[in-house]
Amino acid sequence: MTNELFQQVRLVDPVSGTDRVTDVLWVDGKIAAIAPEIPDVPVDTHIRDCRGLVLGPGLVDLYSYSGEPGFEERETLTSLQQAAAAGGFTRVTLLPDTHPAIDNPASVGWLRSHSQRPESNKHPAAAAVPTLDCWGALTQGVKGQQMTELAELATSGIVGFADGQPIPSLSMLRRLLEYLRPLKKPVAIWCFDRELAAGGVMREGAESLRFGLPGIPEMAETSAITSVLECVAAIGTPVHLMRVSTARSVELIQTAKARGLPVTASTTWMHLLLTSDAVASYDPSLHLKPPLGSQADRIALLQGIQAGVIDAIAIDHRPYTYEEKTLAFAEAPPGAIGLELALPLLWQNLVELGALSALELWQALSMRPAECLEQPPGQIVAGRSAELTLFNPRQVWTVENQTLKSRAINTPWFGKQLMGRVIQTWS
Amino acid sequence: MQPENNLSLVTEQFMYAEGVPFVSFGMVTSTWNRRHILSLSDFTPLEYDTVLQTANSFREVLSRRTKKVPALQGQVVANLFFEPSTRTRSSFELAAKRLSADTLNFAPGTSSLSKGETILDTAKTYLAMGTDMMVIRHREAGVPQAIAQEMDRLGVRVGVLNAGDGQHEHPSQALLDLFTICTLIDSEYPSLSVLKDKKIAIVGDILHSRVARSNIWSLTASGAEVHLAGPPTLLPKLFAEFVQESTASSQPSELKRHNPELGSPHMLTNPTASTLLPRRLFLHWDLEPALKNADFVMTLRLQKERMTSHLLPSLREYHQQFGITRDRLQLCHPEVKVLHPGPVNRGVEISSDLMDDPNFSLISQQVTSGVAVRMALLYLMGSSKV
Repeated sequence: MTNELFQQVRLVDPVSGTDRVTDVLWVDGKIAAIAPEIPDVPVDTHIRDCRGLVLGPGLVDLYSYSGEPGFEERETLTSLQQAAAAGGFTRVTLLPDTHPAIDNPASVGWLRSHSQRPESNKHPAAAAVPTLDCWGALTQGVKGQQMTELAELATSGIVGFADGQPIPSLSMLRRLLEYLRPLKKPVAIWCFDRELAAGGVMREGAESLRFGLPGIPEMAETSAITSVLECVAAIGTPVHLMRVSTARSVELIQTAKARGLPVTASTTWMHLLLTSDAVASYDPSLHLKPPLGSQADRIALLQGIQAGVIDAIAIDHRPYTYEEKTLAFAEAPPGAIGLELALPLLWQNLVELGALSALELWQALSMRPAECLEQPPGQIVAGRSAELTLFNPRQVWTVENQTLKSRAINTPWFGKQLMGRVIQTWS
Repeated sequence: MQPENNLSLVTEQFMYAEGVPFVSFGMVTSTWNRRHILSLSDFTPLEYDTVLQTANSFREVLSRRTKKVPALQGQVVANLFFEPSTRTRSSFELAAKRLSADTLNFAPGTSSLSKGETILDTAKTYLAMGTDMMVIRHREAGVPQAIAQEMDRLGVRVGVLNAGDGQHEHPSQALLDLFTICTLIDSEYPSLSVLKDKKIAIVGDILHSRVARSNIWSLTASGAEVHLAGPPTLLPKLFAEFVQESTASSQPSELKRHNPELGSPHMLTNPTASTLLPRRLFLHWDLEPALKNADFVMTLRLQKERMTSHLLPSLREYHQQFGITRDRLQLCHPEVKVLHPGPVNRGVEISSDLMDDPNFSLISQQVTSGVAVRMALLYLMGSSKV
């Protein structure tokens, strides 16, 4: 492992609240020094001129999808890890909706053994291989019908429980939360009423009428959040609310947190950047669940992040093959890739334009997701080991097959030019 | 380009001389600058008038003994109907044949769509056969647009015409409706302006209707008052914002007694839009105010599966509340005419005897107009300079 001196880098460290230009010396996987100028470094240190670059703790993704096992043509664990590293992530948490589903200890063991960092990964130039963690399924096969063996699964190496799909009945949700209470693992629930959303493919509104696409009413999410919050209030099991997408949801969560309910929440990066009018292009990569909202929703989500109501920004990377996605908007499966695109686009559109500060963004992509997973958040402090991401906000690149590490290309930014790219990660 | 008032002469001229401005009827002198016809939301008054007057020339052609012109000779028009259709496909096929184009018909039953081929693959197959224009229908919104974008991306000059996509739009149907009513008012020079201040009611399942959406765009562009009527489940109040620019946030300013939430005019002056006139759209959850003094009543097909998705209690109640009957037409202008895009559920949207009454019903004229209008659209696309 090589030593690195980051000269005059913009250090963004949410845990200590640091955002300033400094030198950072990294020796043997640890931060050796942080000082305005570090003149003396070990002999084999790689000295980098980092003027204009940003160094922060490695990004943590709360939930994303792998193709493997079962859909390797969409994404393999290896391509996912490469994509994550290229996007600045040092930890990614996979949703269990694979084939077979991650709903038993054997599947968890398989996934862990296939996503270990290879010991040979000592090549100095190689990007760090991100840690892949996984959510264990709440229901068998993620079908929402029967509980998995939750207690056994809890000890098998999962970070927490999530289906990544709505729990179809409140009675089932109630029993799950009751049963999970003593297991002390994070639980993530996607609040989405499939009956109210039935047939819908974009947010209901004047745009859905104009575009002739069946609408999903806002209440498909807000009524489900209300129900889950009532269950949490009664049962007491902490819950993470996934994929929050409406202004009203932010209000509901704010009230719940003010009451002291043990809830955390996340939105997805695409909901912070796009609104439903973008669907005018009928690009199937804009078919998302939950759907893109209005400008008011987008602003409320950003304010929610600033106020700490929305804890984290998740990537919800969801790869599909070209032939799976090249359908009519409504017929294409929902989801888009994001691991390699999120940081550049969020930085460019939110930090550069002043909607979020660099610290607020990095906190929502690194510190808070770790906290939601009950993991120690990464920080950059002298004397401590650290996961690092070095980002060049000015590098221009084009989103193409050749530039993406992901096997999938289902993103509305395919073919577009972006500004900002991760140079390397270390862990 | 030379102004030309003699209709038949102009017809001959634009049929035979490729590259010559195709319409030169007095006021309107223009070239067509639209490769694809996907939506009427951004049609300009000039484009509407060009379509109407070109269609009128073709109506004359269709009244001749030899109903065929060589305008598109040697060109290939592919009808890609991913959603089954007989009426619209036949109308397009006949229109293309009357223009001497070669036609190809694609039907999903005989296709490879079930073999993993994407819609773009299908379009590219027809492109490779030398297709010049594609007429596309699909059960989902946005497919004609996606194919048009792909053709543009490939850098080929292939025009795409939307023949109905999901609940989005059906431009040729709205244009034939427009042509039908405009020629009724002025058969020699049908133009958008003849509809100014006419009252037109569109009744029924607005929510699921691509025909209604295209008609809202065309009729509100003409300066007519457009009144939508239907039950709240099939006419969501969000339709009040339909013709607004997404940035506009105009609120209802005037409330009517019978519908406290609705019935207010949404008159919007929109400097950037394609029309110079304010679009006037009114919503009603009961039928009477929509019909009162109406000059035209457009009825829409009601799909029977609406009952199973909790949108309507029964067809019987629908007919009671929103069915067009002889009695109800008493509320309208004495010379009111009724339109329907077909196929009609007799006794549901419209009473059976009314449908067959030539004093009221324009249904068969709509079908006849369809061929002339579709000829005009194919012809104009073929002459497009872009």
